[in-house]
Amino acid sequence: MYIKNIKLQHYRNYHELALTFDDRINVIIGENAQGKTNLMEAIYVLGFSKSYRTSKDKELIQWEQSYAKIEGTVLKKHYQVPLEMQFSAKGKKAKLNHLEQRRLSDYIGALNLVMFAPEDLNLVKGSPQMRRRFIDMEIGQIKPVYIYHLGQYQKILKQRNHLLKELQRKKQHDLTLLSVLTEQLIEHASIIIEKRFSFLELLRQWAAPIHQGISQHKESLTINYDTTIDVLESYNKEKIKHIYETTFSQNQRKEIERGTTLFGPHRDDLLFYVNNRNVQTFGSQGQQRTTALSLKLAEIELIKAEVGEYPVLLLDDVLSELDQHRQSHLLNTIQGKVQTFISTTSVSDIKHETIEQAELFYVENGTITQQRRG
Amino acid sequence: MYYPEPISKLIDSFTKLPGIGPKTAVRLAFFVLNMKEDDVLDFAKALVSAKRELTHCNVCGHITDQDPCVICQDQSRDDSVICVVQDPKDVIAMEKMREFNGRYHVLHGAISPMDGIGPDDINVPALLNRLKDEQVEELILATNPNVEGEATAMYISRLVKPSGIKITRIAHGLPMGGDLEYADEVTLSKALEGRREL
Repeated sequence: MYIKNIKLQHYRNYHELALTFDDRINVIIGENAQGKTNLMEAIYVLGFSKSYRTSKDKELIQWEQSYAKIEGTVLKKHYQVPLEMQFSAKGKKAKLNHLEQRRLSDYIGALNLVMFAPEDLNLVKGSPQMRRRFIDMEIGQIKPVYIYHLGQYQKILKQRNHLLKELQRKKQHDLTLLSVLTEQLIEHASIIIEKRFSFLELLRQWAAPIHQGISQHKESLTINYDTTIDVLESYNKEKIKHIYETTFSQNQRKEIERGTTLFGPHRDDLLFYVNNRNVQTFGSQGQQRTTALSLKLAEIELIKAEVGEYPVLLLDDVLSELDQHRQSHLLNTIQGKVQTFISTTSVSDIKHETIEQAELFYVENGTITQQRRG
Repeated sequence: MYYPEPISKLIDSFTKLPGIGPKTAVRLAFFVLNMKEDDVLDFAKALVSAKRELTHCNVCGHITDQDPCVICQDQSRDDSVICVVQDPKDVIAMEKMREFNGRYHVLHGAISPMDGIGPDDINVPALLNRLKDEQVEELILATNPNVEGEATAMYISRLVKPSGIKITRIAHGLPMGGDLEYADEVTLSKALEGRREL
Protein backbone atom coordinates (compact mmCIF):
# COMPACT_ATOMS: atom_id res chain seq x y z
CA MET A 1 0.00 0.00 0.00
CA TYR A 2 1.13 3.57 -0.34
CA ILE A 3 0.04 7.09 0.53
CA LYS A 4 -0.91 9.02 -2.58
CA ASN A 5 -1.35 12.41 -1.05
CA ILE A 6 -1.74 14.20 2.22
CA LYS A 7 -3.39 17.45 3.30
CA LEU A 8 -2.67 19.17 6.57
CA GLN A 9 -4.59 21.95 8.21
CA HIS A 10 -3.40 23.78 11.33
CA TYR A 11 -1.14 20.88 12.15
CA ARG A 12 1.75 21.92 14.42
CA ASN A 13 3.76 24.43 12.31
CA TYR A 14 1.85 23.74 9.07
CA HIS A 15 -0.99 26.13 8.43
CA GLU A 16 -2.11 24.61 5.13
CA LEU A 17 -0.22 21.96 3.24
CA ALA A 18 -1.04 19.64 0.35
CA LEU A 19 1.49 17.17 -1.01
CA THR A 20 1.47 14.37 -3.56
CA PHE A 21 3.92 11.58 -2.87
CA ASP A 22 5.98 9.21 -4.94
CA ASP A 23 4.99 5.58 -4.52
CA ARG A 24 8.58 4.65 -3.63
CA ILE A 25 11.12 6.97 -2.02
CA ASN A 26 10.25 10.40 -0.62
CA VAL A 27 13.03 12.38 0.99
CA ILE A 28 12.16 15.24 3.31
CA ILE A 29 15.09 17.60 3.61
CA GLY A 30 15.53 20.56 5.92
CA GLU A 31 17.47 22.12 8.74
CA ASN A 32 16.50 21.31 12.30
CA ALA A 33 13.27 22.74 13.69
CA GLN A 34 11.78 23.47 10.25
CA GLY A 35 9.05 20.81 10.37
CA LYS A 36 10.50 17.56 8.97
CA THR A 37 9.53 15.48 11.93
CA ASN A 38 6.15 17.20 12.14
CA LEU A 39 5.37 15.93 8.65
CA MET A 40 6.56 12.42 9.54
CA GLU A 41 4.48 12.60 12.69
CA ALA A 42 1.40 13.66 10.69
CA ILE A 43 1.73 10.55 8.52
CA TYR A 44 2.13 8.46 11.65
CA VAL A 45 -0.95 10.01 13.24
CA LEU A 46 -2.94 9.33 10.06
CA GLY A 47 -2.14 5.63 10.51
CA PHE A 48 -2.25 5.18 14.27
CA SER A 49 -4.66 7.98 15.29
CA LYS A 50 -2.17 9.20 17.88
CA SER A 51 1.32 10.59 18.03
CA TYR A 52 4.44 8.79 19.17
CA ARG A 53 5.91 12.05 20.47
CA THR A 54 3.18 13.14 22.82
CA SER A 55 0.17 11.73 24.57
CA LYS A 56 -1.54 15.12 24.53
CA ASP A 57 -3.52 15.47 21.31
CA LYS A 58 -3.86 19.19 21.93
CA GLU A 59 -0.20 19.70 21.13
CA LEU A 60 -0.89 18.70 17.53
CA ILE A 61 -3.06 21.75 16.95
CA GLN A 62 -1.31 24.83 15.59
CA TRP A 63 -0.84 27.70 18.00
CA GLU A 64 -3.99 29.82 18.36
CA GLN A 65 -6.08 27.51 16.15
CA SER A 66 -9.12 25.57 17.31
CA TYR A 67 -8.56 22.37 15.37
CA ALA A 68 -6.08 20.34 13.36
CA LYS A 69 -6.90 18.12 10.42
CA ILE A 70 -4.93 15.49 8.50
CA GLU A 71 -6.35 13.98 5.35
CA GLY A 72 -4.72 11.39 3.14
CA THR A 73 -5.50 8.89 0.43
CA VAL A 74 -4.10 5.40 0.80
CA LEU A 75 -3.78 3.30 -2.31
CA LYS A 76 -4.09 -0.42 -1.79
CA LYS A 77 -3.77 -3.25 -4.25
CA HIS A 78 -7.33 -3.13 -5.50
CA TYR A 79 -8.85 0.04 -4.12
CA GLN A 80 -8.14 3.33 -2.42
CA VAL A 81 -9.25 4.62 0.97
CA PRO A 82 -9.53 8.22 2.08
CA LEU A 83 -8.48 8.67 5.70
CA GLU A 84 -9.02 11.64 7.94
CA MET A 85 -8.03 12.56 11.48
CA GLN A 86 -9.40 15.64 13.24
CA PHE A 87 -8.34 17.08 16.56
CA SER A 88 -10.11 19.79 18.50
CA ALA A 89 -10.77 20.78 22.08
CA LYS A 90 -13.70 18.34 22.05
CA GLY A 91 -11.47 15.38 21.23
CA LYS A 92 -10.55 13.51 18.10
CA LYS A 93 -12.44 12.09 15.18
CA ALA A 94 -11.23 9.33 12.89
CA LYS A 95 -12.87 9.02 9.51
CA LEU A 96 -12.47 6.06 7.21
CA ASN A 97 -14.00 6.44 3.78
CA HIS A 98 -15.54 9.72 5.02
CA LEU A 99 -17.39 7.84 7.75
CA GLU A 100 -16.60 8.54 11.36
CA GLN A 101 -15.37 5.47 13.23
CA ARG A 102 -16.61 5.27 16.79
CA ARG A 103 -13.97 2.78 17.79
CA LEU A 104 -10.38 3.57 16.97
CA SER A 105 -9.76 -0.15 16.57
CA ASP A 106 -11.98 0.02 13.47
CA TYR A 107 -9.76 2.76 12.07
CA ILE A 108 -6.26 1.59 12.92
CA GLY A 109 -5.01 -0.92 10.41
CA ALA A 110 -6.36 0.86 7.34
CA LEU A 111 -2.89 2.34 6.86
CA ASN A 112 -0.09 0.07 7.99
CA LEU A 113 3.07 1.85 9.00
CA VAL A 114 6.48 0.93 10.28
CA MET A 115 8.30 3.75 11.98
CA PHE A 116 12.03 3.78 12.51
CA ALA A 117 13.37 6.72 14.51
CA PRO A 118 16.62 7.18 16.45
CA GLU A 119 14.78 6.20 19.65
CA ASP A 120 14.12 2.82 18.10
CA LEU A 121 17.81 2.11 18.07
CA ASN A 122 17.43 1.98 21.84
CA LEU A 123 14.69 -0.61 21.59
CA VAL A 124 17.06 -3.29 22.84
CA LYS A 125 18.68 -1.48 25.73
CA GLY A 126 15.84 0.93 26.54
CA SER A 127 13.08 0.42 29.07
CA PRO A 128 10.77 -2.63 29.02
CA GLN A 129 7.94 -0.19 28.39
CA MET A 130 9.43 0.61 24.96
CA ARG A 131 9.52 -3.05 24.02
CA ARG A 132 5.95 -3.62 25.21
CA ARG A 133 4.84 -0.65 23.18
CA PHE A 134 6.65 -2.05 20.16
CA ILE A 135 4.96 -5.42 20.43
CA ASP A 136 1.52 -3.94 21.22
CA MET A 137 1.59 -1.50 18.30
CA GLU A 138 2.55 -4.22 15.85
CA ILE A 139 -0.05 -6.72 16.96
CA GLY A 140 -2.64 -3.95 17.00
CA GLN A 141 -1.96 -3.11 13.36
CA ILE A 142 -2.43 -6.68 12.27
CA LYS A 143 -5.20 -7.69 14.68
CA PRO A 144 -7.31 -4.67 15.68
CA VAL A 145 -9.27 -6.67 18.33
CA TYR A 146 -6.03 -6.78 20.28
CA ILE A 147 -6.29 -3.03 20.88
CA TYR A 148 -9.72 -3.55 22.41
CA HIS A 149 -8.45 -6.18 24.83
CA LEU A 150 -5.45 -4.02 25.70
CA GLY A 151 -7.74 -1.06 26.41
CA GLN A 152 -10.06 -3.14 28.60
CA TYR A 153 -7.05 -4.60 30.39
CA GLN A 154 -5.65 -1.14 31.18
CA LYS A 155 -9.02 -0.01 32.51
CA ILE A 156 -9.45 -3.03 34.77
CA LEU A 157 -5.84 -2.76 35.89
CA LYS A 158 -6.42 0.82 37.01
CA GLN A 159 -9.54 -0.20 38.93
CA ARG A 160 -7.75 -3.12 40.50
CA ASN A 161 -4.70 -1.08 41.52
CA HIS A 162 -6.99 1.46 43.10
CA LEU A 163 -8.73 -1.21 45.11
CA LEU A 164 -5.41 -2.79 46.14
CA LYS A 165 -4.23 0.62 47.40
CA GLU A 166 -7.40 0.95 49.46
CA LEU A 167 -7.01 -2.56 50.83
CA GLN A 168 -3.39 -1.74 51.69
CA ARG A 169 -4.44 1.36 53.60
CA LYS A 170 -7.29 -0.64 55.17
CA LYS A 171 -9.90 1.74 53.81
CA GLN A 172 -11.58 -1.22 52.17
CA HIS A 173 -11.86 -4.85 53.17
CA ASP A 174 -13.86 -6.31 50.33
CA LEU A 175 -11.94 -9.33 49.05
CA THR A 176 -14.90 -10.47 46.97
CA LEU A 177 -14.58 -7.31 44.90
CA LEU A 178 -10.86 -7.98 44.50
CA SER A 179 -11.54 -11.47 43.22
CA VAL A 180 -14.09 -10.11 40.74
CA LEU A 181 -11.58 -7.63 39.35
CA THR A 182 -8.92 -10.34 39.28
CA GLU A 183 -11.20 -12.58 37.23
CA GLN A 184 -11.87 -9.72 34.78
CA LEU A 185 -8.18 -8.93 34.57
CA ILE A 186 -7.24 -12.53 33.85
CA GLU A 187 -9.80 -12.80 31.09
CA HIS A 188 -8.07 -10.09 29.05
CA ALA A 189 -4.54 -10.84 30.26
CA SER A 190 -4.68 -14.39 28.94
CA ILE A 191 -5.93 -13.21 25.53
CA ILE A 192 -3.17 -10.60 25.36
CA ILE A 193 -0.46 -13.10 26.29
CA GLU A 194 -1.76 -15.67 23.82
CA LYS A 195 -1.74 -13.13 20.99
CA ARG A 196 1.73 -11.92 21.97
CA PHE A 197 3.00 -15.50 21.84
CA SER A 198 1.71 -16.11 18.36
CA PHE A 199 3.08 -12.77 17.18
CA LEU A 200 6.50 -13.56 18.62
CA GLU A 201 6.55 -16.84 16.78
CA LEU A 202 6.10 -14.92 13.51
CA LEU A 203 8.58 -12.21 14.47
CA ARG A 204 11.25 -14.82 15.16
CA GLN A 205 10.70 -16.48 11.81
CA TRP A 206 11.31 -13.22 9.99
CA ALA A 207 13.90 -11.57 12.23
CA ALA A 208 16.36 -14.46 12.49
CA PRO A 209 17.25 -14.72 8.77
CA ILE A 210 17.32 -10.93 8.39
CA HIS A 211 19.72 -10.62 11.31
CA GLN A 212 21.93 -13.30 9.80
CA GLY A 213 21.95 -11.33 6.56
CA ILE A 214 22.96 -8.05 8.14
CA SER A 215 25.67 -9.66 10.24
CA GLN A 216 26.91 -11.64 7.25
CA HIS A 217 26.12 -14.93 8.97
CA LYS A 218 28.23 -14.15 12.01
CA GLU A 219 25.35 -13.72 14.42
CA SER A 220 22.15 -15.55 15.17
CA LEU A 221 19.26 -13.82 16.90
CA THR A 222 16.76 -15.37 19.28
CA ILE A 223 13.87 -13.62 21.00
CA ASN A 224 12.33 -14.69 24.29
CA TYR A 225 9.26 -13.53 26.12
CA ASP A 226 9.99 -12.68 29.72
CA THR A 227 6.95 -12.97 31.91
CA THR A 228 6.09 -12.81 35.59
CA ILE A 229 4.23 -16.11 35.49
CA ASP A 230 5.33 -19.62 34.73
CA VAL A 231 4.00 -20.33 31.22
CA LEU A 232 5.20 -21.93 28.02
CA GLU A 233 4.50 -20.33 24.67
CA SER A 234 2.78 -23.48 23.50
CA TYR A 235 0.03 -23.06 26.10
CA ASN A 236 -3.43 -22.13 24.94
CA LYS A 237 -5.63 -19.43 26.44
CA GLU A 238 -7.34 -21.75 28.91
CA LYS A 239 -4.07 -23.02 30.30
CA ILE A 240 -2.64 -19.50 30.58
CA LYS A 241 -5.80 -18.44 32.38
CA HIS A 242 -5.45 -21.27 34.83
CA ILE A 243 -1.86 -20.32 35.65
CA TYR A 244 -2.84 -16.71 36.22
CA GLU A 245 -5.62 -17.85 38.55
CA THR A 246 -3.27 -19.84 40.76
CA THR A 247 -0.59 -17.12 40.69
CA PHE A 248 -3.01 -14.42 41.76
CA SER A 249 -4.61 -16.48 44.50
CA GLN A 250 -1.21 -17.50 45.92
CA ASN A 251 0.03 -13.92 45.96
CA GLN A 252 -3.04 -12.09 47.19
CA ARG A 253 -1.46 -11.04 50.48
CA LYS A 254 1.69 -9.85 48.78
CA GLU A 255 -0.30 -7.78 46.31
CA ILE A 256 -2.30 -6.13 49.09
CA GLU A 257 0.90 -5.40 51.05
CA ARG A 258 2.41 -3.71 48.01
CA GLY A 259 -0.85 -2.10 46.95
CA THR A 260 -0.42 -2.88 43.28
CA THR A 261 -0.90 -5.57 40.65
CA LEU A 262 2.28 -7.63 40.43
CA PHE A 263 1.48 -9.96 37.55
CA GLY A 264 0.20 -9.55 34.03
CA PRO A 265 1.20 -8.45 30.54
CA HIS A 266 1.92 -4.91 31.77
CA ARG A 267 4.97 -6.27 33.59
CA ASP A 268 6.35 -8.49 30.84
CA ASP A 269 9.30 -7.88 28.59
CA LEU A 270 11.13 -9.10 25.50
CA LEU A 271 14.65 -10.49 25.74
CA PHE A 272 17.02 -10.60 22.79
CA TYR A 273 19.94 -12.99 22.48
CA VAL A 274 22.74 -12.89 19.92
CA ASN A 275 24.74 -16.07 19.76
CA ASN A 276 23.04 -17.08 23.01
CA ARG A 277 24.19 -14.01 24.89
CA ASN A 278 21.77 -11.39 26.15
CA VAL A 279 22.25 -8.38 23.86
CA GLN A 280 20.80 -5.99 26.36
CA THR A 281 23.49 -6.60 28.95
CA PHE A 282 26.37 -8.13 27.00
CA GLY A 283 25.88 -6.88 23.45
CA SER A 284 27.99 -4.17 21.84
CA GLN A 285 26.27 -1.04 20.65
CA GLY A 286 26.67 -2.36 17.10
CA GLN A 287 24.92 -5.62 17.99
CA GLN A 288 22.11 -3.72 19.68
CA ARG A 289 21.63 -1.57 16.59
CA THR A 290 21.70 -4.56 14.28
CA THR A 291 19.08 -6.23 16.44
CA ALA A 292 16.85 -3.14 16.34
CA LEU A 293 17.25 -2.95 12.57
CA SER A 294 16.48 -6.64 12.12
CA LEU A 295 13.31 -6.25 14.16
CA LYS A 296 12.14 -3.30 12.10
CA LEU A 297 12.84 -5.08 8.81
CA ALA A 298 11.14 -8.19 10.15
CA GLU A 299 8.10 -6.05 10.96
CA ILE A 300 7.87 -4.96 7.34
CA GLU A 301 7.93 -8.55 6.07
CA LEU A 302 5.60 -9.72 8.81
CA ILE A 303 2.96 -7.16 7.93
CA LYS A 304 3.31 -8.09 4.27
CA ALA A 305 2.77 -11.74 5.17
CA GLU A 306 -0.19 -11.09 7.46
CA VAL A 307 -1.96 -8.22 5.71
CA GLY A 308 -1.01 -9.06 2.15
CA GLU A 309 0.60 -5.72 1.36
CA TYR A 310 3.79 -3.95 2.32
CA PRO A 311 3.37 -1.24 4.96
CA VAL A 312 4.63 2.31 4.52
CA LEU A 313 8.03 2.89 6.11
CA LEU A 314 8.95 6.06 7.97
CA LEU A 315 12.65 6.67 8.55
CA ASP A 316 12.84 9.71 10.77
CA ASP A 317 16.40 11.04 10.98
CA VAL A 318 17.64 7.53 11.43
CA LEU A 319 19.66 6.85 8.29
CA SER A 320 22.47 9.16 9.39
CA GLU A 321 22.65 7.15 12.61
CA LEU A 322 23.36 3.94 10.75
CA ASP A 323 26.76 3.08 9.32
CA GLN A 324 27.26 2.59 5.58
CA HIS A 325 26.83 -1.16 5.76
CA ARG A 326 23.58 -1.16 7.73
CA GLN A 327 22.25 1.77 5.74
CA SER A 328 22.67 0.00 2.42
CA HIS A 329 21.30 -3.23 3.82
CA LEU A 330 18.19 -1.38 4.89
CA LEU A 331 17.74 0.41 1.58
CA ASN A 332 18.44 -2.72 -0.46
CA THR A 333 15.72 -4.57 1.42
CA ILE A 334 13.03 -2.00 0.77
CA GLN A 335 14.14 -1.00 -2.72
CA GLY A 336 11.37 -1.10 -5.26
CA LYS A 337 8.68 -2.49 -2.98
CA VAL A 338 8.05 -0.31 0.06
CA GLN A 339 6.95 3.31 -0.02
CA THR A 340 9.44 5.06 2.22
CA PHE A 341 9.65 8.49 3.79
CA ILE A 342 13.14 9.55 4.78
CA SER A 343 13.76 12.70 6.76
CA THR A 344 17.30 14.07 6.82
CA THR A 345 19.25 17.29 7.09
CA SER A 346 21.11 16.64 3.86
CA VAL A 347 20.70 14.25 0.93
CA SER A 348 24.43 13.74 0.65
CA ASP A 349 24.28 11.76 3.93
CA ILE A 350 22.56 8.99 2.05
CA LYS A 351 24.75 7.09 -0.32
CA HIS A 352 22.51 4.75 -2.19
CA GLU A 353 21.21 4.48 -5.71
CA THR A 354 17.54 4.59 -4.65
CA ILE A 355 18.00 8.27 -3.80
CA GLU A 356 18.62 9.00 -7.49
CA GLN A 357 14.98 8.41 -8.31
CA ALA A 358 13.53 9.86 -5.17
CA GLU A 359 11.04 12.66 -4.83
CA LEU A 360 12.59 15.47 -2.82
CA PHE A 361 10.77 17.80 -0.46
CA TYR A 362 12.59 20.81 0.93
CA VAL A 363 11.17 22.00 4.23
CA GLU A 364 11.67 25.53 5.40
CA ASN A 365 9.73 26.97 8.30
CA GLY A 366 6.44 25.26 7.62
CA THR A 367 6.46 25.48 3.82
CA ILE A 368 7.55 22.75 1.47
CA THR A 369 8.92 22.89 -2.06
CA GLN A 370 8.83 19.74 -4.11
CA GLN A 371 11.47 18.70 -6.59
CA ARG A 372 11.88 15.57 -8.63
CA ARG A 373 15.22 14.00 -9.26
CA GLY A 374 16.29 11.80 -12.17
CA MET B 1 -22.51 41.58 29.72
CA TYR B 2 -24.17 41.90 26.33
CA TYR B 3 -27.48 40.64 27.68
CA PRO B 4 -29.82 42.14 30.27
CA GLU B 5 -29.49 40.21 33.50
CA PRO B 6 -32.71 38.12 33.39
CA ILE B 7 -31.83 36.58 30.06
CA SER B 8 -28.17 36.04 30.86
CA LYS B 9 -29.30 34.18 33.99
CA LEU B 10 -31.57 32.03 31.85
CA ILE B 11 -28.74 31.32 29.41
CA ASP B 12 -26.52 30.33 32.32
CA SER B 13 -29.18 27.93 33.57
CA PHE B 14 -29.52 26.24 30.20
CA THR B 15 -25.73 25.78 29.96
CA LYS B 16 -25.91 23.65 33.09
CA LEU B 17 -27.88 20.98 31.20
CA PRO B 18 -25.94 18.14 29.57
CA GLY B 19 -25.32 18.40 25.84
CA ILE B 20 -26.09 22.13 25.75
CA GLY B 21 -23.30 24.51 24.85
CA PRO B 22 -23.31 28.32 24.94
CA LYS B 23 -24.83 28.75 21.47
CA THR B 24 -27.72 26.37 22.03
CA ALA B 25 -28.31 27.97 25.42
CA VAL B 26 -28.72 31.39 23.78
CA ARG B 27 -31.08 29.95 21.19
CA LEU B 28 -33.23 28.25 23.84
CA ALA B 29 -33.30 31.34 26.05
CA PHE B 30 -34.53 33.54 23.21
CA PHE B 31 -37.10 30.92 22.30
CA VAL B 32 -38.43 31.06 25.85
CA LEU B 33 -38.86 34.85 25.52
CA ASN B 34 -41.22 34.29 22.62
CA MET B 35 -43.25 31.55 24.31
CA LYS B 36 -46.72 32.18 25.73
CA GLU B 37 -46.60 33.07 29.39
CA ASP B 38 -48.78 30.09 30.38
CA ASP B 39 -46.45 27.69 28.66
CA VAL B 40 -43.47 29.22 30.40
CA LEU B 41 -45.20 28.90 33.76
CA ASP B 42 -46.08 25.26 33.11
CA PHE B 43 -42.52 24.62 32.12
CA ALA B 44 -41.15 26.21 35.29
CA LYS B 45 -43.65 24.31 37.44
CA ALA B 46 -42.77 21.05 35.73
CA LEU B 47 -39.11 21.60 36.53
CA VAL B 48 -39.77 22.34 40.18
CA SER B 49 -42.26 19.55 40.73
CA ALA B 50 -40.03 16.98 39.03
CA LYS B 51 -37.36 17.90 41.50
CA ARG B 52 -39.58 18.24 44.59
CA GLU B 53 -42.11 15.49 44.15
CA LEU B 54 -39.92 12.69 42.90
CA THR B 55 -38.09 10.47 45.33
CA HIS B 56 -36.46 7.08 45.10
CA CYS B 57 -38.68 4.12 45.83
CA ASN B 58 -37.71 2.58 49.15
CA VAL B 59 -38.04 -0.93 47.78
CA CYS B 60 -36.45 -0.88 44.34
CA GLY B 61 -34.76 2.53 44.09
CA HIS B 62 -36.63 3.59 40.97
CA ILE B 63 -37.69 7.26 40.70
CA THR B 64 -41.28 7.73 41.82
CA ASP B 65 -43.82 10.22 43.12
CA GLN B 66 -45.31 7.70 45.53
CA ASP B 67 -43.50 5.30 47.81
CA PRO B 68 -43.39 2.37 47.09
CA CYS B 69 -43.46 2.99 43.34
CA VAL B 70 -46.20 1.89 40.95
CA ILE B 71 -44.24 -1.14 39.83
CA CYS B 72 -43.54 -2.32 43.37
CA GLN B 73 -47.24 -1.84 44.30
CA ASP B 74 -48.56 -3.68 41.27
CA GLN B 75 -50.02 -6.98 42.57
CA SER B 76 -50.17 -8.57 39.14
CA ARG B 77 -46.39 -8.60 38.80
CA ASP B 78 -44.26 -11.66 39.33
CA ASP B 79 -42.47 -11.48 42.68
CA SER B 80 -40.14 -14.32 41.88
CA VAL B 81 -38.01 -12.43 39.37
CA ILE B 82 -35.95 -9.29 39.97
CA CYS B 83 -34.18 -7.47 37.19
CA VAL B 84 -31.15 -5.47 38.37
CA VAL B 85 -30.33 -2.34 36.35
CA GLN B 86 -27.92 0.57 36.76
CA ASP B 87 -30.20 3.48 36.06
CA PRO B 88 -33.88 4.51 36.32
CA LYS B 89 -33.76 5.09 32.55
CA ASP B 90 -33.01 1.39 32.14
CA VAL B 91 -36.28 0.55 33.93
CA ILE B 92 -38.16 2.76 31.46
CA ALA B 93 -36.40 1.03 28.56
CA MET B 94 -37.37 -2.39 29.94
CA GLU B 95 -40.94 -1.29 30.57
CA LYS B 96 -41.34 0.01 27.02
CA MET B 97 -40.63 -3.51 25.85
CA ARG B 98 -43.75 -4.79 27.71
CA GLU B 99 -42.25 -8.25 27.90
CA PHE B 100 -40.95 -8.30 31.43
CA ASN B 101 -43.44 -8.78 34.21
CA GLY B 102 -41.15 -9.12 37.21
CA ARG B 103 -39.81 -6.57 39.67
CA TYR B 104 -36.83 -4.25 39.35
CA HIS B 105 -33.92 -3.12 41.40
CA VAL B 106 -32.10 0.08 40.46
CA LEU B 107 -28.46 0.37 41.58
CA HIS B 108 -27.87 4.01 40.63
CA GLY B 109 -24.38 3.35 39.34
CA ALA B 110 -21.76 0.68 38.96
CA ILE B 111 -18.77 -0.38 41.02
CA SER B 112 -15.68 1.64 40.17
CA PRO B 113 -12.90 1.82 42.79
CA MET B 114 -11.16 4.48 40.68
CA ASP B 115 -14.07 6.84 41.21
CA GLY B 116 -14.43 5.83 44.83
CA ILE B 117 -17.62 3.85 44.18
CA GLY B 118 -17.69 0.58 46.10
CA PRO B 119 -20.55 -1.94 46.46
CA ASP B 120 -21.94 -0.07 49.47
CA ASP B 121 -22.13 3.20 47.53
CA ILE B 122 -24.61 1.76 45.07
CA ASN B 123 -27.91 0.15 45.98
CA VAL B 124 -26.44 -3.32 46.66
CA PRO B 125 -27.10 -3.69 50.42
CA ALA B 126 -30.82 -2.97 49.85
CA LEU B 127 -30.86 -5.64 47.14
CA LEU B 128 -29.38 -8.22 49.51
CA ASN B 129 -32.01 -7.37 52.13
CA ARG B 130 -34.75 -7.76 49.57
CA LEU B 131 -33.45 -11.17 48.60
CA LYS B 132 -33.56 -12.27 52.25
CA ASP B 133 -37.17 -11.21 52.77
CA GLU B 134 -38.85 -11.83 49.44
CA GLN B 135 -39.46 -15.10 47.67
CA VAL B 136 -37.12 -14.51 44.75
CA GLU B 137 -36.26 -17.37 42.43
CA GLU B 138 -34.36 -15.58 39.71
CA LEU B 139 -32.11 -12.53 39.61
CA ILE B 140 -31.51 -11.05 36.16
CA LEU B 141 -28.38 -8.92 36.01
CA ALA B 142 -28.92 -6.26 33.36
CA THR B 143 -26.02 -3.90 34.09
CA ASN B 144 -24.23 -2.30 31.14
CA PRO B 145 -21.84 -4.44 29.09
CA ASN B 146 -18.71 -2.44 29.97
CA VAL B 147 -15.91 -3.00 32.47
CA GLU B 148 -17.74 -1.46 35.44
CA GLY B 149 -21.14 -2.96 34.64
CA GLU B 150 -19.56 -6.35 34.17
CA ALA B 151 -17.68 -6.09 37.48
CA THR B 152 -20.90 -5.11 39.24
CA ALA B 153 -22.77 -8.08 37.79
CA MET B 154 -20.00 -10.49 38.73
CA TYR B 155 -19.82 -9.04 42.23
CA ILE B 156 -23.55 -9.42 42.87
CA SER B 157 -23.53 -12.92 41.50
CA ARG B 158 -20.70 -13.90 43.90
CA LEU B 159 -22.67 -12.62 46.86
CA VAL B 160 -25.99 -14.14 45.91
CA LYS B 161 -24.90 -17.47 44.46
CA PRO B 162 -24.56 -19.27 47.86
CA SER B 163 -28.24 -18.59 48.57
CA GLY B 164 -29.23 -20.83 45.68
CA ILE B 165 -31.15 -18.15 43.78
CA LYS B 166 -30.86 -18.58 40.03
CA ILE B 167 -28.69 -15.81 38.57
CA THR B 168 -28.75 -14.87 34.91
CA ARG B 169 -26.92 -12.22 32.88
CA ILE B 170 -28.58 -10.60 29.86
CA ALA B 171 -27.05 -11.68 26.55
CA HIS B 172 -24.59 -9.59 24.55
CA GLY B 173 -24.44 -9.66 20.82
CA LEU B 174 -25.82 -8.46 17.56
CA PRO B 175 -28.53 -5.82 17.35
CA MET B 176 -31.74 -7.06 15.75
CA GLY B 177 -32.42 -5.96 12.21
CA GLY B 178 -28.72 -5.34 11.65
CA ASP B 179 -26.33 -6.85 9.19
CA LEU B 180 -23.68 -9.26 10.33
CA GLU B 181 -21.07 -7.64 8.12
CA TYR B 182 -21.38 -4.28 9.88
CA ALA B 183 -20.85 -5.66 13.37
CA ASP B 184 -17.52 -4.86 14.98
CA GLU B 185 -15.18 -7.72 15.83
CA VAL B 186 -15.71 -7.49 19.57
CA THR B 187 -19.51 -7.65 19.40
CA LEU B 188 -19.28 -10.42 16.86
CA SER B 189 -16.96 -12.50 19.01
CA LYS B 190 -19.30 -11.98 22.01
CA ALA B 191 -22.24 -13.06 19.88
CA LEU B 192 -20.36 -16.17 18.82
CA GLU B 193 -19.46 -16.94 22.43
CA GLY B 194 -23.11 -16.68 23.46
CA ARG B 195 -24.51 -18.80 20.61
CA ARG B 196 -27.15 -21.37 21.42
CA GLU B 197 -28.41 -24.59 20.01
CA LEU B 198 -31.54 -24.52 17.88
